[in-house]
Amino acid sequence: MTAVFHDYVKNKFARPGPLKGLRVLELVTLLFGPSGPSFLAEMGAEVIKIELPPLGDVTRSLKPFDWFYKEQGPMFMHINPNKYYMALDLHIDMGQDIFKELVAKADIVEFNLRPAVTNRWNIGYEDLKKVNPNIIYIEKNGFGQWGQYAEEDRPSNDGAAQALSGYAWISSFSGQPPLKQGIWICDYFGGLMGETAVLAALHHRKKTGKGQYIEMSQSENIMRAMQWVWPYQQMTGKSAEPSGNQDQCICPADTFLCADNQFTAIAAPAPDEFKGLCKAMGKPELADDPRFKDHTTRLKTDNALAILKIVAEWARTKGADEVEKLGIQHGFAASRVHTGKDMYENENRRSRDFVKEIDDPLYGKYVEHCFPVMMSKTPPKIKWTVRPVGFDNEYILTNILGRNQTQIKELYTHGVIGKWKDMQGRRPPSDWDGKYGAILWR
Amino acid sequence: MADYKRAKWADWADHVKSLDDPAKNFEKPEALDDLVVIDVSSRSMAGCYCSSLLAELGAETIRIEPPGGDLVRTYSPGGIMNKDTGLAYLQEGRNKFHVTLDLEKEEGREIFKSLIGQADIVIETYPAGQMDEWGIGYEELSKLNPRLIFTSISPFGQFGPESDRKQFDYDNVAQARSGIQYQTGEFLTEGKTYDDMPWAVPTKAGPWIAWCVGGAFAAVGILAAVHYRELTGEGQAIDVTSAEAYERLNDYALHWYGDQGHITERFGSLDTALWLYGFFPTSDGGVFLGGLRLEMWKAFVDILGKYDEWGADEWTTLAPFMKEDWQFKYQAMINPLTSQFTSQELTRKSIEYAKTGRLAPITPVVAEIVSPWQTMHDNNWIERGMFTPVQDPEYGSVVCAQAQWKSTETPPRTKWVCRPVGADNGHIYLKYLGYGPVMLEKLKGQGVL
Repeated sequence: MTAVFHDYVKNKFARPGPLKGLRVLELVTLLFGPSGPSFLAEMGAEVIKIELPPLGDVTRSLKPFDWFYKEQGPMFMHINPNKYYMALDLHIDMGQDIFKELVAKADIVEFNLRPAVTNRWNIGYEDLKKVNPNIIYIEKNGFGQWGQYAEEDRPSNDGAAQALSGYAWISSFSGQPPLKQGIWICDYFGGLMGETAVLAALHHRKKTGKGQYIEMSQSENIMRAMQWVWPYQQMTGKSAEPSGNQDQCICPADTFLCADNQFTAIAAPAPDEFKGLCKAMGKPELADDPRFKDHTTRLKTDNALAILKIVAEWARTKGADEVEKLGIQHGFAASRVHTGKDMYENENRRSRDFVKEIDDPLYGKYVEHCFPVMMSKTPPKIKWTVRPVGFDNEYILTNILGRNQTQIKELYTHGVIGKWKDMQGRRPPSDWDGKYGAILWR
Repeated sequence: MADYKRAKWADWADHVKSLDDPAKNFEKPEALDDLVVIDVSSRSMAGCYCSSLLAELGAETIRIEPPGGDLVRTYSPGGIMNKDTGLAYLQEGRNKFHVTLDLEKEEGREIFKSLIGQADIVIETYPAGQMDEWGIGYEELSKLNPRLIFTSISPFGQFGPESDRKQFDYDNVAQARSGIQYQTGEFLTEGKTYDDMPWAVPTKAGPWIAWCVGGAFAAVGILAAVHYRELTGEGQAIDVTSAEAYERLNDYALHWYGDQGHITERFGSLDTALWLYGFFPTSDGGVFLGGLRLEMWKAFVDILGKYDEWGADEWTTLAPFMKEDWQFKYQAMINPLTSQFTSQELTRKSIEYAKTGRLAPITPVVAEIVSPWQTMHDNNWIERGMFTPVQDPEYGSVVCAQAQWKSTETPPRTKWVCRPVGADNGHIYLKYLGYGPVMLEKLKGQGVL
């Protein structure tokens, strides 16, 4: 253990998050929009999630097969922790005005709407700059704000980005149709990269006082992660093609079926790693074989196929965990392919507080992923999970905008703010006692 | 020039383009040009990707490699090289100054320490404990520079029962560990084995996505730490594993297991939690179809001409469509219909439907599943600056994915794609340590550089 992380988990709540003091507004749905602000919230920023009353974010309705957790969409919970929930009708001018009042007191504002929609609601970049000239404004969507696809008003989803970027094309087995990922990778990766842009903009603002406008297309963003594909196509004049689990740039690196019908991934490109693997296989002489003598030679197609075949035949005679252990012993990288059960039970994840049981006032105890960046002085953390639509209206209006009870009541009367519709995902869980978790309105 | 019909809001598009067109990037300031980054990562593209993000934003980034160069330079499809460099590193050497230094030698470590006093950020990817063993871990370096942000990316983390595993961090192993690979791929047909269907296995993503996610989370952590340092003057240590970083994006699989004991299994190119959402065949390939609201699904059924036959008018909720058996049922009904059209025909139908369909402007998402070759030659992306070749002084004209986001003040940009091993020893060691040619020759002779 590295000394600086001694007692990290124990003392996690004794230190602030790194973004303490920042205020973020989000008007976003699904995952591409909310994921980024969630990361800021986990790092201690105050994030206010604005939804349209009374239905709010459509993600509240989405469920894997037939499973809701306490009537809530589990992906909504996974990607919206630590936020304050306000339901504000932006179709109404009074709603737009309140939004602007909040922007005036915010650092960052995030959207994922189609181009020019915020302009129609009078909360476009030029509108918001008038109330807060230094605002950092990010708009994430399928195709950005200009160019043919944007102007055709094409809708987009994560799956569209996987399709249009070529990501799916190179993520299947040769001869098989392109494969969609089991997660919404372009949404999440876009959300994550969006915060790189936002935090860099924040640094620039500190130096110059200037905010800025950022636009991100999820297809374009995932292209950045496709790396060697582009110069490869330029150099060879042909398309990059899929290769299943075989890493085309690293050898050996592949996933192997083991004797117990489980799978283990192995990587051993460096000389010490390759020697270790050969030794583990009981074939140390392979390390001196001219076909495998160095990494560049090993990567040549015939040589790569030859060594992968040897490893595959060997792996088939061992259990998946046994291969992983041999990796530790002989110094090459190896891991069994983990499942949801492994995530839940694995001791390393738990002891790092990466997998943690949350104790939430509305949703009770459940197990969740925490932020995957451990910071010795400013530990990021999950404090609470999602809230019903409009749950924190009173807190935000009172604490930030100084509205009194009469004024708030009037806003409800005019439908400017609202609370949840009495339906799944919008209302509180049925076993909620009506008090826990509520701020200032009980 | 645009040969499509301009949107009603074209003035907005033109306005934004005038402010953030990547063609004007070099007229703008750089967000991080006051920061010095030292990237001493080894064998790992997570480290290189992380430092690339900072370097694209203007940080002065010094990439330290062992005298023979880091192993990442050999990562390349089929082992093909441009000069001495693999194609993967031609993307992630970008904007960095490349120096050599042997950290296994005491003199090398002393030189490293003198650079640290002038650095803001260190990125390293050795197995946990290696930097401490060399006497250049966070404990030692923070004494030299308390403002230092010291970032480690490793397979199992800097603490925890598995953190003593002395293994390097590789993308395919991190993907395996994230749980995501397990739940991605085609399913085995009943009665078949993996030998019958060797592609119907847990399938990793083709790109190094665990490395990129690990690197991007590290960059986000670093920038947050820079923010905190502005407030307090304090640096800190950051601990990221590529596997955990990627796993954080693994939706509800953990929660589902915790609550129901349910293990999320492969579901082909459909989606366990969404409808309409998946890949479907066409006469010339395939398309992604998306309609996460009931009306969008109805609109798609209308496009197929089945609105009345399937009774779409009666549907009041999407919920039953997410059930496993309904997904299979409707997939089987949709496949023969989409197969009658080309991907482009279906895409056009969706765009047309938004204007003239009975549920307009609602329309489903239709996107052709293209090869990266088509992506690279698609004018939409080219005009938006995605594939503008970098004119590199050493490697020539190289296509790089860039302009991954656009911004009005401090957009990311690519200045050069890579540098040969040790190419910047002269410049960097002179600038930071005052080493002239004589000193450099001496250190080189000793094998330190």
